[in-house]
Amino acid sequence: MIEAILIFLALAVLFGLLLGYASIRFKVEGNPEAEQIDKILPQTQCGQCGYPGCKPYAEAVANREADINQCIPGGNEVMIKISEITGLEPKAMDEAAAEPKEKEVAFINEDLCIGCVLCIKECPVDAILGATKMMHTVIEKECTGCELCVPVCPVDCIDMIPPKVTPNDWKWPEPNFLNEDDR
Amino acid sequence: MNFFMLVVKQLSKIYPSAKRWAYRFHGGVFPRYNKSLSASQPIRPQLIPEKLILPLQQQVGLPACPIVQVGDKVKKNQLLAKPSKDPQKALSVPIHAPTSGTIIAIEEATLAHPSGLEGVCIILQPDGANQAIENALEVDGSLPKTPVELKSVLLKSGIVGMGGAGFPTYAKLPNERGRIHTLLINGAECEPFITCDDLLMQTQAEAIIKGALLTAEALGAERIICGIETNKPAAIQAMKKAAASTSVEIKEVATVYPMGGQKQLTLELTGIETPHDSHAVDIGLLMMNVATLTAIYRAVSLGDPLTSRLVTVSGLGLEKPFNMDVMIGTPFNSLAQAAKPKVKLDYPLVMGGPMMGFQVKSNEVPVLKTTNCVLANPPEPVDMQMPCIRCGECMDVCPVNLLPQQMYWYSQAHEFDKVEKLQVFDCIECGCCSYVCPSHIPLVQYYRHAKSEIKAIHAEEKAVELAKQRHEFKLARIEREKQEREARLKAKKEAVKQAAAKTEDSSEKTPAKKAAGAAAAARAAAAKRAMQKGNKPSSGSDKAMPSARLKAIEAAKKAAQNSELEAGSTASMKSSTGDAKSKARQAAQKAAQKRAQKVKAQSEPANKDAKTNLKSESSSPTKEPSAEAISLDLTQTSEATTASKKEAARKAAMQAARAAAKKRKVSSSDHQVSSDKPSGERSDNQTHQQDENSDKRQKAMEAARKRAKQRQAEKNQAADNQENT
Repeated sequence: MIEAILIFLALAVLFGLLLGYASIRFKVEGNPEAEQIDKILPQTQCGQCGYPGCKPYAEAVANREADINQCIPGGNEVMIKISEITGLEPKAMDEAAAEPKEKEVAFINEDLCIGCVLCIKECPVDAILGATKMMHTVIEKECTGCELCVPVCPVDCIDMIPPKVTPNDWKWPEPNFLNEDDR
Repeated sequence: MNFFMLVVKQLSKIYPSAKRWAYRFHGGVFPRYNKSLSASQPIRPQLIPEKLILPLQQQVGLPACPIVQVGDKVKKNQLLAKPSKDPQKALSVPIHAPTSGTIIAIEEATLAHPSGLEGVCIILQPDGANQAIENALEVDGSLPKTPVELKSVLLKSGIVGMGGAGFPTYAKLPNERGRIHTLLINGAECEPFITCDDLLMQTQAEAIIKGALLTAEALGAERIICGIETNKPAAIQAMKKAAASTSVEIKEVATVYPMGGQKQLTLELTGIETPHDSHAVDIGLLMMNVATLTAIYRAVSLGDPLTSRLVTVSGLGLEKPFNMDVMIGTPFNSLAQAAKPKVKLDYPLVMGGPMMGFQVKSNEVPVLKTTNCVLANPPEPVDMQMPCIRCGECMDVCPVNLLPQQMYWYSQAHEFDKVEKLQVFDCIECGCCSYVCPSHIPLVQYYRHAKSEIKAIHAEEKAVELAKQRHEFKLARIEREKQEREARLKAKKEAVKQAAAKTEDSSEKTPAKKAAGAAAAARAAAAKRAMQKGNKPSSGSDKAMPSARLKAIEAAKKAAQNSELEAGSTASMKSSTGDAKSKARQAAQKAAQKRAQKVKAQSEPANKDAKTNLKSESSSPTKEPSAEAISLDLTQTSEATTASKKEAARKAAMQAARAAAKKRKVSSSDHQVSSDKPSGERSDNQTHQQDENSDKRQKAMEAARKRAKQRQAEKNQAADNQENT
């Protein structure tokens, strides 16, 4: 009887110490959940979630300060992934954002551009080139399609257009199951 | 061996799979070859079409860059487009004129690509004369000794792999001699209908062998093995004859689709299976198509660039199929018309063979360097696709040992990560699985779709990573700019303060004339201090940073000495004041800038201490003169003490400076770009003070009267500080 109690007491102490040591030795710095969420966010840095970029939103979600359905560019797909990471209930997106939009990039109509540099300041990824009173242009492959530059343009010379498909990035179409009209 | 073949042949009648014992790789199919359609015809003389369409991009990599203009007359073999960028880094090959004529346009035209997209093409209208530039590549006929020499010729000649993949040949070769021990020649043309390599081997065996020998020589390869399928006896004979006295081994390989695949033929000829993530070059092997070797021979020995190739024009819809040495850029339609179509060609032609080829969007698309066949097969009723019954046929025929039905299953469900795990990128898209599928599922199409989706996903991931980096960089840059701006402001403050100290020192010598200036400077310094006070009211921690204080004092003294010298040497008092002032200011500014970083690092109160002490230290000897100056300026003062007057002036200046600082803050946040800001702002600051001096002084006097006692207390404290230092 006494031995058993002693043995279990000793075990309890031992494991307690082990656990205590492990919690110090293997302490996780920062919030790994925020990192995970940041990874799956589309990184458009568009601010449509109400946070100034993807990382702040990821942190807010990780701290349970923000809803998981705020990422408009990510759409349902990202929302579901966030719910998987956080273990929160999936929440319906606004109907406008439920379907992910086709990727678009900003295009500056260079005839209209007055060189005001407003869009350059707005661009979260520095994808717009230009200088004061000089024509601006968008580096297409850097553009995330966040649309932040569109509203600030005083002459409305920025359009969102789908990027041009070249033979290099053309995708083979998916064959339709049980179809005959395809050929 | 022959006996074994005989047994296999007999056995295959009752057990069809026995045919697979005759070769080494897994799977494979035995379609109807239909090769006799075109193989039995002699090679037709070259046809000069009405126009040639030369797409700037004919291979993987980057498009070429045109160097001709619309209206230019060009000769055959003339360079039309040079490789864009550095061809060693980005794959790009030049394009030469296939015949003489006029450039009539450089415009978008439909490409011979499964997408049917348009691309920029040079349109050449032949003049029929076919005038050629001889030895356009300017070779001297000597054989290249090193791979690099060979590569430079290949790059200039615009040769790409002509078996179908179209990888630029120069990029395929290693730079070091001896890395390739075996050169393999691909004469196993396994696609049905296509016979161009067969006829090439029959007619130009010499050129092929010579091309192979010179390539092997340049690369330092020891062995040359040529694999030819058994269904081309004439080609085997011709090649054996040409290779008789050379080191080239001619090997007959079994007739099976896809024997002509690079990895399959490598395995068959050498017994080496290419590892999944490496190229043949990595294991010391190099395979070249017979057509590529002919082109290499022509480029190296004759200086001819690649402007034409042997193309099979065949198909069940043509009456007179043929092979022809076709100019690159010839429209498909003109070739098909030359073969007398049985019915009007209202169906799309196929580029390549029936197994791997694709239907072109428009029959006017041009022959490319990679086009080996133009196929005109009238459309057949398509068998309806049925659900997969999991029979496993596809798995049995897959030449790369993949699991086609699993890949199909996941691609259909859009679980592309799983498709990728099943190594879909090892799929050579040979079409064996689709060929045998009893449910007529277009399996290869699913894999192609999955491949492009996976590529897009990876591209997206990269883009996301890039966007993240760029965003973080932008944030960091904004932060850095902010700090720099603050540092600049601080440096400028220091500078002004130093200048003030100096002016006061120098004003000892010329009290009357410099008094006003000294007072102004003192006021400026006071303003600085006041600003600091306003930011952080903590005057008690005076002894906190003696080192900073000492340094500041020392710098001030040095600057003061300088200015003294200046002042002493100058004859005219007025100008000397100005000179001394400006010089002192400059010196002070420099000192301040040097100290700026240190100051930045130091805490706010310490900073303030330094300033306060410096102020009191430097101002105390000049108390009398500056006080006099003020009394000169403001004659009505009689009851206030000189010290309190000064303090009052300081207070006033502080207010002025606050206003100026606010203004500056606004303006500096507006114009972020200003390397010349410090000086600009300095003058700005001074003008401000001078402007506001008069009414500020009056205000100051009032304030001074009110708060004389307060000031007195502060002065006492300052004196204490001085003593401390």
